[in-house]
Parts: sequence; structure tokens; C-alpha cells
Amino acid sequence: MPEERIYEDLTLVRRRARTVFWIVAGLVLLALSYYWKVQVLDHAKYLKLAEANRTRVRPLAAPRGLILDRNDVILADNRASFKVSIVRESVTDPAASFTAVSRLLGLDEKTLRERVDLHKDLPLFEPIVIADGLGSDAIVPIESRRREFRELVIEAEPQRFYPKGSRAAHVLGYLQERTPEEVRSGSAAARAGEMVGRTGVESQYDAILRGDDGSVVEVVDSLGRVQNEQGHNFPVQGGTVKLTIDDRLQALAEEALEDREGVVVALNPRNGEILALASHPTYDPNRFITRFTPAEWSQLITDPLSPLENRAIRGLYAPGSIFKLVMALGGLDGGYVTPATTVYCSGATEIYGALRHCWFAPGHGSMDLVDAIKNSCNIYFYQLGRRMGIEPIAAAAGRLGLGRRTGIDLSGEKEGLVPNTQWKKNALGQVWYPGETISIAIGQGQLQVTPMQIAALTARVAMKGREFHTPHLFLSPPDAGGPESGGAVPFKASAFESVIAGMWKSANDGGTGQGARVEGFDVCGKTGSTQVMSRESAARLAQAGREVKTHSWFSGFAPRDNPRIVVTVLVEFGGGGGATAAPVAGKIFAKYRETEAK
Amino acid sequence: MMMIDRRLFQEIDWVLLGLVLLQALIGVFFIYSSSHFLAGGYHVRQLIWIGVSLIVLIFVLAIDYKFFVALAPYFYVMVVAVLTATLVFARFVAGTKSWITLGLMQLQPAEPAKIVMILVFARFFAEYKSAYVRSSRTLGALLIAGAPLLLIILQPDLGTAMTFLAVIGGAFILAGLRKKTIALLVVAALVAGIGGWNLALKDYQKRRVTTLVNPQGDPRGSGYQVIQSKIAIGSGGLAGRGFMKGTQSQLRFLPARHTDFIFSVIGEEAGFLGVFIVIALYLALLARMFLSVSHARDRAGVYIIFTASLLIAFQFLVNILMIIGLFPVVGITLPFLSYGGSSLLTSFVACGLVLNVKMRRFANV
Repeated sequence: MPEERIYEDLTLVRRRARTVFWIVAGLVLLALSYYWKVQVLDHAKYLKLAEANRTRVRPLAAPRGLILDRNDVILADNRASFKVSIVRESVTDPAASFTAVSRLLGLDEKTLRERVDLHKDLPLFEPIVIADGLGSDAIVPIESRRREFRELVIEAEPQRFYPKGSRAAHVLGYLQERTPEEVRSGSAAARAGEMVGRTGVESQYDAILRGDDGSVVEVVDSLGRVQNEQGHNFPVQGGTVKLTIDDRLQALAEEALEDREGVVVALNPRNGEILALASHPTYDPNRFITRFTPAEWSQLITDPLSPLENRAIRGLYAPGSIFKLVMALGGLDGGYVTPATTVYCSGATEIYGALRHCWFAPGHGSMDLVDAIKNSCNIYFYQLGRRMGIEPIAAAAGRLGLGRRTGIDLSGEKEGLVPNTQWKKNALGQVWYPGETISIAIGQGQLQVTPMQIAALTARVAMKGREFHTPHLFLSPPDAGGPESGGAVPFKASAFESVIAGMWKSANDGGTGQGARVEGFDVCGKTGSTQVMSRESAARLAQAGREVKTHSWFSGFAPRDNPRIVVTVLVEFGGGGGATAAPVAGKIFAKYRETEAK
Repeated sequence: MMMIDRRLFQEIDWVLLGLVLLQALIGVFFIYSSSHFLAGGYHVRQLIWIGVSLIVLIFVLAIDYKFFVALAPYFYVMVVAVLTATLVFARFVAGTKSWITLGLMQLQPAEPAKIVMILVFARFFAEYKSAYVRSSRTLGALLIAGAPLLLIILQPDLGTAMTFLAVIGGAFILAGLRKKTIALLVVAALVAGIGGWNLALKDYQKRRVTTLVNPQGDPRGSGYQVIQSKIAIGSGGLAGRGFMKGTQSQLRFLPARHTDFIFSVIGEEAGFLGVFIVIALYLALLARMFLSVSHARDRAGVYIIFTASLLIAFQFLVNILMIIGLFPVVGITLPFLSYGGSSLLTSFVACGLVLNVKMRRFANV
């Protein structure tokens, strides 16, 4: 009997045991082949992942380029500022930490939370900026308590600084932090917390001004803690942008508005260089750098007077009597009147069954075109408007640049509106009434222009239509020439002569623009007082609780024979153009003459 | 009885023992590399544990395995008692109650339980000579294994529970399973698996399984370990990044570096060559262990050699699959190489049992 043997028969179990071993060995070899794939075939991929794991690129902010006026006066600069960021990864007790940090920084706890929440999608080890623009005095108490606040990171950074505060604020524009969406979707160069130009020159020339951020490549451990530094690229400051602005004229322009809402534009008609651009009310662009509290910000953007808006390119106004320049040029050029044509003004006249008044109730008597411009007589232009009809008027306005952007190097410029039959049919679905033409003839009705368009129009008139240069702020080197210029305006030269004669008389011969007169400078100009306001203006007005007054216009140039400066002034609710706007322009002309003499 | 007689001493499989020690020493090097920046001197502690384990191994060798097999029922009762006590008295550490503290030492009772199960099965199947196991036997074995298994599942320690199941399954394979029984077990496993998934598994355990399918689904959570481990292994390349130069382990991206994921450190710092060498040594060791069945003089010996070898083999295989993302992260250490006294001791004792059987093949009792 086999069972009786000393050694039992174990063949079967031994065979099974060996089989299991070979299965195990086979599985191990399969595993080994997978290790081959991961380690040898996919090595590069995993090596890259390991490198990405352990290195972190920390950007070093580049100082933005300087912005200078035409005489190298610094309008935008940089200064050292300290920035405090919170690293959520190092926060052990969020509630206690938020309370302590907000007390340390003198911040409202809710504001602090909002700032952190804005970037909650970022990895936990990424610092989130919670306070910046701090001066060295503000940073000392924080620095001295570093040990208690391990979650805080303090960095020094170059920061935009506008030494003259709100000076030329609408020209310079303002900076804002990149939104998380922009950081996520933007180019690789985008850096969280980076300030980018949002408006004005800061936005228009952001690519020049921005500079190249530097970077530090840091080796970090799994907690994101820095172990050592691998490479250091120093940041390169952005390029300098030199503007056509003359700070002295700019300062005067802002001062001359005397806290009234309005616009002053001064430019050189020979090359389109803008010498001054003031829009009031204004703001201090430095406040964008040091961050607003939500309350300050909402107050700023809901202010009925819209201080952030650049009225020179975004304010839409009826041109009023300034439009008489367009009428005169169109009328002469089209042969509807000659310089000798006279019209009798008795203070009122009946046209298309409606009684129309001149602004001067006693009447101007009989006069020709030059005197009609000088006196800004409505009756003359009513008659001219009736003779011309809307289409030739609209065509003349278009040829003088109304109804389209001037092309200034600022974004957000508005087009304005020159109505005609086709426009009214398309926009309102109504036919054009001849009575409307009469309103257009004195610059009222649906006409809408920006002060910059009027400045450009005045420049065309000053140059007698021979040349036109797009208004611009970027000062090109003398040999490079300005930006592309519009061509000549095809009006008869004699038409310009008559219009300019009228403008000269307006300022120098007892006309409506005599407030702008400068002894020995041959100022030529035209005033305007708009009786109507746009719907937005009306709403704004109601909100501001203002008494209704007309907007006050003046636009002119000097000197008559060799024009070197165009000044356009608009004062909202300023009353008569001659009384309010013309003296402002006069100050600018005088100052220009004075600086020129030096 | 404590004296090992000279003839027996000559019969010790020195090659097997040498392979074990070599693995353990390789482990010490990489434990050092992956933990030198931590306080605690893990490599020194591991060396001490190797010493302790060797002494215990000699003790195991000194006593005829038949004596252990005879005592198996008592060991079994003790282990079940200690596992029960662990459940009652142990504090939660990392979500499980698997550690008990004895003075300065922390022990995992589930580890010695593995050894006890080896002996229990050896005893249970020693006199069972049929070519195939009958249902009644199967049921009996399942009941015996069930008690400690349930206690470990309750801790919960999924890794050890799986290792248990592997040992039980191995014993059945050896005893011989009919197709009908296999079908029955598969159905039972499916029912247990589906039921376990829905009723017993904790959320973190379910996540580990889903993570295996899609590690990027939760890269900061449970997928993190697998992703980081794979990056470590892959970045090692053919020759490795150099001893103590692996960024994944040195900068602590790799989790559980000196314990469960020690092989990832080897993969990163010694590259595929290191992986190949360790796996080759391991296969040699396993071959030496498994194939010792030829030298067992009785059925109990075969069972001891086979289940002990399978215990090591299963943990090895699961560990090297787990760290490269081919198996859920279940907390199974790499025997001999991973840091940890209980694990090291268990592995050494398992080898000791194999050596014990092998050296007594001619003993006439």
C-alpha cells in the first residue's frame, strides 16, 4: 500500500506549487515589461513632468516704460512699492488667519476675503496679492511680525506712479490688474496680478510700455516650498513713450476749465500733434494702482458725471453754430451762395410754416456770408439750409470728417452722427422732413459730434483743406513723419478764404468769438451754443440736478496766415459759447504764444 | 531543542538566506535615500529590525516545523483574540485600527496572523490526501480563515485582507479545486465584491479603485500617489537619476517613500537597471522558495513552503503593480525592502519556515 511508505506521494501538490510559481514569474515579467515602457520608452514625458513638478517660475515684474510730454516732462513714472500676498497653502486656520491678517494690514475682513476668493482657482501655493502699493513706512510693522504670519509673502515691486496726479489722466488712461480670465486664456507672458493698460496711452501703447518680465526659476518641494534657485532673468523696463502733449498747455487747459464739465483740445494743424487734451471731471490714475475699495470703485463708475469718460473722444454733443462752418463751405463750394450773397435778418423768419428765430432778437440786418459767420446769424444759415437741402449738407459734413472717427491713437473713440434721408429711413423708418434740415443748418437736430472731430474739422479749415493730419498723441521722431494723413479736402480755396475771414472777424472784429482774441496773434474762431442735448446728457443732467443751460462751444485756430495751433473748447451747460468757451480758448492761445516766444 | 544540530546546520539554504539579506540591505540604502532628511533615523531602525528578524529567524529554524504545526490551533486562538483586542482597544491611526502599542513598540497584529494562517492551513490540509478538495473541506477552511479575515476587514486593512485571501486561495489551489468549486468561488467572490463595493468599502477605498482607471480624475487626492509614483519611476529612465538625486523622492513629491513606495524610489534613482536587478533577485528568491517544495518531506511541509512563498510573492507582485498604477493603492508593502518592523519580521519568519522545512527533509521523526 503506497500510503504505508515513509515518504508519501506529494507529486501532485508539488506540481501545482511549481505551476503557481511559473504563473507568478510570468506576471512579474509582464510587470517588468511595463516598467520598460514607462522608464525607457516614455522616459522623456515623465522626466518633463518631474521637472515641472519641482520647478516653479516666479515672474519678476518689469517696470513699465516712462511716458513723457514733448519736452521730456515725466507724466508716468515708476516707484518701489511693497506688495503683501497670502499663500493659502500655509494657512492653518483660515478663519483666525483672515481675522489676524486683516487687522495687521488694516483691511476690512470682507474685502480681504473677496480678494482671495477672486483667485480661488489658482493652486494653493500661489501667492494671492491682498495689499499692495504700500510704502516703506507701511511695510515696517508687517515686516517686523513676519514670524507670526508665515502665510504672508512680502515682495518689492516697481509700481506705476503718476507724479502729477490727475494731470492728463484721460490721455494717459489707467491700469488695472489682469482679470483671472485673461490670465487663464492669455499669452504665456501673462502674470497674475500684472497691471495692464485699460484706457488711454497706457492701453494704446501697452506693448511698448510693458517691458519684458524677468523670472526666477525656483526648485520647490511637494508643498511648493522653495528649496533653491536655478536661474534668474532680470526684467527689462518697457520702452519710453513720448507724447505730443505739452505739459504747460495741458496744465493750463485743465485749470481753465475751472471745475466745469467740459473739454479742451489743442493741436497743431500742420502735423496733427495734440498739444493738450483735457476732459473734466477727471480722476487720479494713481488710485487705480493702489487699489480702490469696492465702495470707492462703485462710486467712481456710477458717478453721474462720468469722470472716467474721455469726453474729447467719447462725449457726443450737437455742434451748434460751429456747424455753420460746414454750411458755409458746402454752400460756397456747391454754388448755393456766393460771398456776395446777402440775407436780411430781422430777428425771425418763417420757413416751411414755422417761425424761426435768430439768437439776436433785434436782428442783424442785411449781411453777407462773412458777417453771418462773424455774427453767427441763424437766419442766414436757415436760408442757406433751405437752398441746399439735407443731402449736400450731409455730404459736406462727411467731407470734413464728421460722422466718422478721427483716427486718434486712443481706443473707444465715438463716430458721432450726421443724419440724412437714408439714415432716418434705416434707423427710424421715417421720411425726412424739410423742417429738420433747417435745424441741421444751425447744428442742432440729430447731429452729434465729438470735440475731437470739431478740432480736426477746425484743423482742416485752418489749413484751407490743403492737408490734413490725423490727430495723434504719440510723438514720432522728426524725420519719421506723423501717422498717415487724410488727403486734401476738395473744397474751393475761395470758400475757405471767406469762412476764415468770417472766423477772423468773429474773434477780432466784434463778433461772437471775441473772448478768444489775443493781441497780435490773429485768432480765427467760431462759437456755438447748443440748445439741445443728447438723451444721455439729459439723463445725466436730471441726476445731477442741474439747471438747464446750453453747452458752450468755441473752436478756432491761430494765427490766421500761418496756423500753428487749433483750440477747441466745450463747456457743458456753460451758457453762450462766446461768454464761456471763447475766453478759455483765449487763455490757451495766449499761453501757446508765450511758450512759442521762449 | 534549541540547539541546532550540526548536520541540520549544513542543510540550511544559505543561498536563499543570502538573497533575503541582500534584498533587505538594498532596502536599507533606499530607505536612507528617501528619509535621510527626516528625523527618526529610519535606516538605522530598519537595520536593527533586520537584526531582530534574523534572531527570530534562527529561533524559528531551531524548532522543527512539525512542532509549530502541532501548536497551530493555539496560535490561531491567540491571533483571533489579539485581533479582536486590537479592534476594541486600538486608536484610529490614518483611518484604521490596525496598530497596537506595546510599550515603545508599535505592532500590527495582522502581520503575525499571516504566519499563523500558514501553519493553520498546513495542519488543516496535512492529512488530506485526495486529489481534489471537497465542498465540506472548502467550507471548513473558509470558516477557519473567515474569523481573522473578518477582523482585519473591520480594521479596515484592505491590503492585508487581500494578502489573506491570496494565501487562502493558494491553499485551495494546492489542495485541488474542481471546476464546480471554482465556479462556486467565482460566484461567491463576485457577490462579495459587488456587495462589498456597495456596502463595505469606504469612500476612500472606492476612490482608490476608480483612481486606478483614471488617476487624473482627482490629481490632488487619491490619484496623487499614483501620478507622483509613476512620474518618479518614469523619470528614472534607463540608468536612474543617481543615488539620493531623485527629485520626486528628495523633494517629497512621492508619498510613503520609505514604506509602500520604496520601489518607486529605486525606479527613480536606480532606473530600469535597478528595477531589473531587484526584480531579478526577487525572482531568484521566489524560485528558490517555491521550488523548495521538492525538498519537503511531507504534505504539511509542502503547504508551508507554498503558502509562505505565495505570501511573499503576492505582496511583491501587488506592490510593484500598485506603484506603477496597474493595481489600486491598497497599502501593501514590498517585503524585505519596505521600511517597517512588523512587515520585515513576518517576511523573515515566512522565509524561516521555508528554510525550516527544507533543512529537515531527511530528518526522521
